[in-house]
Amino acid sequence: MPEVKIVAETGRRTGTRSSGRLRGDGRIPAVIYGHGIDPISIAVDARELRQALSTDAGLNALLSLDVDGTSHLTMARVLQRHPVRHTVMHVDFQIVRRDEVMSVEVQISLVGDADLVSRENGVVDQQLHSLTVKATPDRIPHGIEVDISALEVGSTIRVADIILPAGVETEVDPEAPVVVGQPPQAAAEAEAMDAEVEAVAAEQSEAASEGAEAAAAEEGGGSDSGAADSGGSDEA
Amino acid sequence: MLMPRKVKYRKQQRGRMSGQAKGGTTVGFGDFGIQALEPGWITARQIEAARIAMTRHVRRGGKVWIRVYPDKPVTQKPAETRMGSGKGNPEHWVAVVKPGRIMFELGGVTEELAKSAMERAIQKLPIKARFVVRSEEVQVEA
Repeated sequence: MPEVKIVAETGRRTGTRSSGRLRGDGRIPAVIYGHGIDPISIAVDARELRQALSTDAGLNALLSLDVDGTSHLTMARVLQRHPVRHTVMHVDFQIVRRDEVMSVEVQISLVGDADLVSRENGVVDQQLHSLTVKATPDRIPHGIEVDISALEVGSTIRVADIILPAGVETEVDPEAPVVVGQPPQAAAEAEAMDAEVEAVAAEQSEAASEGAEAAAAEEGGGSDSGAADSGGSDEA
Repeated sequence: MLMPRKVKYRKQQRGRMSGQAKGGTTVGFGDFGIQALEPGWITARQIEAARIAMTRHVRRGGKVWIRVYPDKPVTQKPAETRMGSGKGNPEHWVAVVKPGRIMFELGGVTEELAKSAMERAIQKLPIKARFVVRSEEVQVEA
């Protein structure tokens, strides 16, 4: 995997306001750490970073970060984003080695059309959108494709069914579902509604039977005060 | 409608809604979402109305996730009551929403259908909100 070169500036002032000013100037505050070096506060050009992380490798791209004349092989590990604008506010660069096995998140994309599911008006429910894999930086896949053309309603594609490239492993539970062919939601909702109606009907019938028993007991007693009470509650 | 089964205290103070959402700002379950752009209180009725608007528009297929929960009681005094004599009675439940919060998610449908369904749901909400797509969140906009 070829790395993308980025030049980093050191000696930035830390803190909310100075970081805000940096962002206003088109730079992004960042930090670089790993492999025993002390964390260094740096700033990178926003446009350079966007270009570097917009390759096929995405966020798992290998970056050659030039810090004060020293080149470090790094990966962007944590991207803090603005909650509304989604712009990158801060980046953590971790120093990596080419022969070191590391754990990264790789996006899972679905390929093919689930005709069998759509024929029954079902829903393709993707439950796992990224997979944590372990590999050396050179072997990290750009993405994992899962073929859903044979998916049926009620069937599940699990982590164990994914064929990973050579040299790539995952520690995620092999039984964890990735994609599930769900039955139509309308049918599921109707079933849930029926169950709810039945429960309410059962409660009402229980309450009615209890009320009838109580009324029978009161009638047996023949008290006038009970009749007056019930009249009052009706008005309310 | 959504409401807590039981609460420790029946009445709450109103609180402030400054700042932006700290969590729940990315689409986590479905493929599309409705993101709040303003702070506000979303009542249980509004959540239910938005959910119904979405599910009815999608008709078949699709799955809806509701990512806000109305756990804050709102009190009201009865009409034509003199001021004083304590706080009113709990009348309804609201979810406190801050800008950036993903309130609803939808999956298993095409983007066009999801957009039209979610635009109908946004009409039921008392705050400005927008339609967001999961795949666009991964891109880097520096």
